[in-house]
Amino acid sequence: MPGAVEKESELSERIEAFVARLKRGGERLSSEEAARQTVGLLRKIIGHGRWGSAGELMALIRKEGKRMTAAQPSETTVGNMVRRVLKIIREEYGRLHGRSEESDQQESLHKLLTSGGLSEDFNTPYPPLRANVIEAISELLIELEGTTDNIAMQALEHIHSNEVIMTIGYSRTVEAFLKEAARKRKFHVIVAECAPFCQGHEMAVRLSKEEIETTVMSDAAIFAVMSRVNKVIIGTKTILANGALIAVSGTHTLALAAKHHSTPLIVCAPMFKLSPQFPNEEDSFYKFVSPQEVLPFTEGEILSKINVHCPVFDYVPPELITLFISNIGGNAPSYIYRLMSELYHPDDHEL
Amino acid sequence: MMAARGSGRRGAGSGEARGPDPQEEPPPPLQAVLVADSFNRRFFPVSKDRPRVLLPLANVVMIDYTLEFLTATGVEETFVFCCWKSSEIKEHLHKSKWCRRTSPNKVRIVTSDLYRSLGDVLRDVDAKSLVRSDFLLVSGDVVSNINVSAALEEHRMRRKLDKNVSVMTMIFKESSPGHRARCQEDDIILAMDSTTNRVLHYQRTQELKRFRFPMSLFQSNIETVEVRHDLLDCHISICSPQVAELFTDNFDYQTRDDFVRGLLVNEEVLGNQIHMHVTAEEYGARVSNLLMYEAVCSDIIRRWVYPMTPEMNFTDDETQSYTHSKHNIYRGAEVSLGHGSVLDENVLIGQGTVIGSNCSITNSVIGQNCKIGDEVILDGAFLWNGVHVADHVEIRQSIVCDEAEVKEKVKLNPHCVLTSQVVVGPNITLLEGTVISLHSPDEEEEDDDEFSDDSGVNKEENKVKLKGYNKAEVGSEGRGYLWKADDENEADEEEQRQNLWGPTLNPEEESETESDLSLGSEQPDSRTASPQLDDIKVFQNEVLGTLQRGEEENISCDNLVLEINSLKYAYNIGLKEVMQVLSKVVMEFPLQQLDTELDPQHYCVMLIPLLKKWSPVFKNYIKRASDHLDALSAIEEFFLEHDGLHTSIAKVLMTFYQLEILAEEMILFWFSQRDTSDKGRQLRKNQQLQKFIQWLKEAEEESSEGDQD
Repeated sequence: MPGAVEKESELSERIEAFVARLKRGGERLSSEEAARQTVGLLRKIIGHGRWGSAGELMALIRKEGKRMTAAQPSETTVGNMVRRVLKIIREEYGRLHGRSEESDQQESLHKLLTSGGLSEDFNTPYPPLRANVIEAISELLIELEGTTDNIAMQALEHIHSNEVIMTIGYSRTVEAFLKEAARKRKFHVIVAECAPFCQGHEMAVRLSKEEIETTVMSDAAIFAVMSRVNKVIIGTKTILANGALIAVSGTHTLALAAKHHSTPLIVCAPMFKLSPQFPNEEDSFYKFVSPQEVLPFTEGEILSKINVHCPVFDYVPPELITLFISNIGGNAPSYIYRLMSELYHPDDHEL
Repeated sequence: MMAARGSGRRGAGSGEARGPDPQEEPPPPLQAVLVADSFNRRFFPVSKDRPRVLLPLANVVMIDYTLEFLTATGVEETFVFCCWKSSEIKEHLHKSKWCRRTSPNKVRIVTSDLYRSLGDVLRDVDAKSLVRSDFLLVSGDVVSNINVSAALEEHRMRRKLDKNVSVMTMIFKESSPGHRARCQEDDIILAMDSTTNRVLHYQRTQELKRFRFPMSLFQSNIETVEVRHDLLDCHISICSPQVAELFTDNFDYQTRDDFVRGLLVNEEVLGNQIHMHVTAEEYGARVSNLLMYEAVCSDIIRRWVYPMTPEMNFTDDETQSYTHSKHNIYRGAEVSLGHGSVLDENVLIGQGTVIGSNCSITNSVIGQNCKIGDEVILDGAFLWNGVHVADHVEIRQSIVCDEAEVKEKVKLNPHCVLTSQVVVGPNITLLEGTVISLHSPDEEEEDDDEFSDDSGVNKEENKVKLKGYNKAEVGSEGRGYLWKADDENEADEEEQRQNLWGPTLNPEEESETESDLSLGSEQPDSRTASPQLDDIKVFQNEVLGTLQRGEEENISCDNLVLEINSLKYAYNIGLKEVMQVLSKVVMEFPLQQLDTELDPQHYCVMLIPLLKKWSPVFKNYIKRASDHLDALSAIEEFFLEHDGLHTSIAKVLMTFYQLEILAEEMILFWFSQRDTSDKGRQLRKNQQLQKFIQWLKEAEEESSEGDQD
């Protein structure tokens, strides 16, 4: 089958290119795009890869998934999507295997405890599995496309007239959320510029184009201005398993200031950002980039005498967060564990 | 302003081009020429065991950084040219991810033992016609994360607009003087046209304190000329295929510097230009000596080259996976750290390395499978793979190559180098700048004439242990030879150190003696400087000799012109200087003949026949108005130097005028120039000169009246 070989090599080339792109910092790849591309690639692997049973397929997905996640550990959506696909395979297999949906879900603590012994084997080959899995993945892709709209739709429930809202940096989700609210209500947005990359400037420009009253301020003014603010709405890179955030650096400051003033902190994040990892498992969440923005290379002599760091992300503990707004509705941080078990299979947490 | 002009012209151009192909052709796949040989011996004796491009930089060999840079920037085909130890480079590349089928960058390896310089490589590129369009030219020791697409776009646009006038775009990085990544050896100063980014003058500073720029730079009709000394040469250039052709045409071009200088000097003749692109945010540097090795290595660890950081593992090598934690600590797999050992900051530890207890490690790189004993202090140490370090060792700012061994209680002072498999100690302190290698320094003298990294290493197997190791130098259990010019004198020692580490940047070390020494010591490549004063002096002597011969053997003026022209090219002299030198030599000619100071009358008697004889030579060079003025100022200078001859200036000028070498309006213009020195003014008060000028003016009035009639 020369055609298959060719397809396979083309596939591995595409995976290689995706991994290389992730390694090179993604060229400002948005999380949504990363999620879509990952799912798209996985669908191709399922479609063209050589596998006989669900077990083999899962091993294949795990192997490729591991490579993709390792390429850029801070891009957690890639790993999340791999886990989602694994979960889909499990479900489809279970359905073909003749198990009802009910029994598949792990409900009680008792079941969780006892399920360890009952690990099923995925070795029975089912010919329709491939088609079923691909169909389910296509549904997942459609779901991904609608996430931002789903979140924006809830805007009117949270933003009221004449409120003062603070945000930090640039987030596509928050931008859509605020724009949706602005269609009906008038409110004032204060954007912390989020040095050293100052994505806040871009956010402010985009918001003011929609005729939203916008103010940009430096990060140092967050605490001072917080007393005037009614609500803080931010985006995030990742939601961790304990309900904490890995968000753009400066967010922790913002969250602490909000807590001090008892201002509600709302996080807009699609479900694909939910990662089953816990903090402090490894330091790979922290992403340090070139110190150029903090102290430019042109500074000369001083650079050999000092160390400059430029972290991209902050860890924001769950107790500082009031509410998550995701594409499936609003949830408190304490509820994250439940969403987790719906989205991912516990066996897949470790790829 | 440039954009406006550019778009205007583009509009005109595209109007014509729209007919045949309405859609712009997609640019052809980007190619690169990677020269995996430095053609010098700066890393000697380290590079004796391994070619320079395979030396590890933060545990990844240099060529991988270069290839990753090329791939990331969108290069689809790379030609790697190897010479010294080409089989090792080939083997490495075949094993690496660059030669996998899935690699987006197709790597093709070209080897030949005949390459002796960059020029040879490019001539070969041209001979084999490997490149189809614009290509990137880099050497195998460049570390960079620059995205060249913007520069490439500019380059292509320039070539489209100006019909292939611009042949090369050099890429520079902004970095202020005194930056540690700027080694003095490669330091440059250049003049550019700030509106078009054209390079007007390019020169290595070579620790000079004063620089000379040709006046023509500032006199040409370029609006703003910028003289810049805040640039770091990344050694990345975007070249058009013409570059390879030019190397073929000019077989004496050896290096890129030769090429750049050649193009700039002959710009009027060949009509080629060089442009530049300056990046402020991205990183690019070439590891040209050990000082740069140290600087680039610590820049990688400090994440300046992001995303090319150790934990990214861009080589896809499983033994190279690292985790990154705070304070830039990178740990490979299976690293063991003893009780009480502290990794302070900026530390990279390779897979399988074992570190004993109570060690203090900071700003260091440790390779794979190293064994480090207890209570070891490493500060700025670069240990390669498989190094053994015993207890109580102290290593500061030094390089220890593969499988070397440092025994107990050895202290390495800054800038020491232990090459592969050397053993030192126990209980010895190596002085600053010590270099120890298993290869005896004597071996090297035989093949001194080789320019490349290489030398007859194969021979050395037979010669090993002709000489015992000196226990005083390497310790009682040591193995290796001290690499130093046998302590002949301080200067040699200095030179040796400079050879490996390059001149240091620290201001306190830049004492008078050092700069004297380095100026006095032989420059590694005397051709690197742009035209300098010395050239002009030599040229002057040559012209004098030519004229003397011409006088004696009665050579025709045409032949004299030919000879002077060839001298002009040989010494790289501009037209203007030729003019000045020629005038000066001719004016001094009678003085040379007789040695004694002449009286004015006698002088004129001798000079005038000479002028008559050589008037065709003058006429050949004096054409434009500026030439006239240059000649006049040279004449003036001569008379200012020889006070006794003041009175003859009128007669000399008269002769020039009568021979129609100098035009009357130019003489008048020169005379009326205000910005002269006191002496010059005095000269102008000379009675006879006044009379002559008066006469000229009258003559002019008459002639102009005549015209009116």
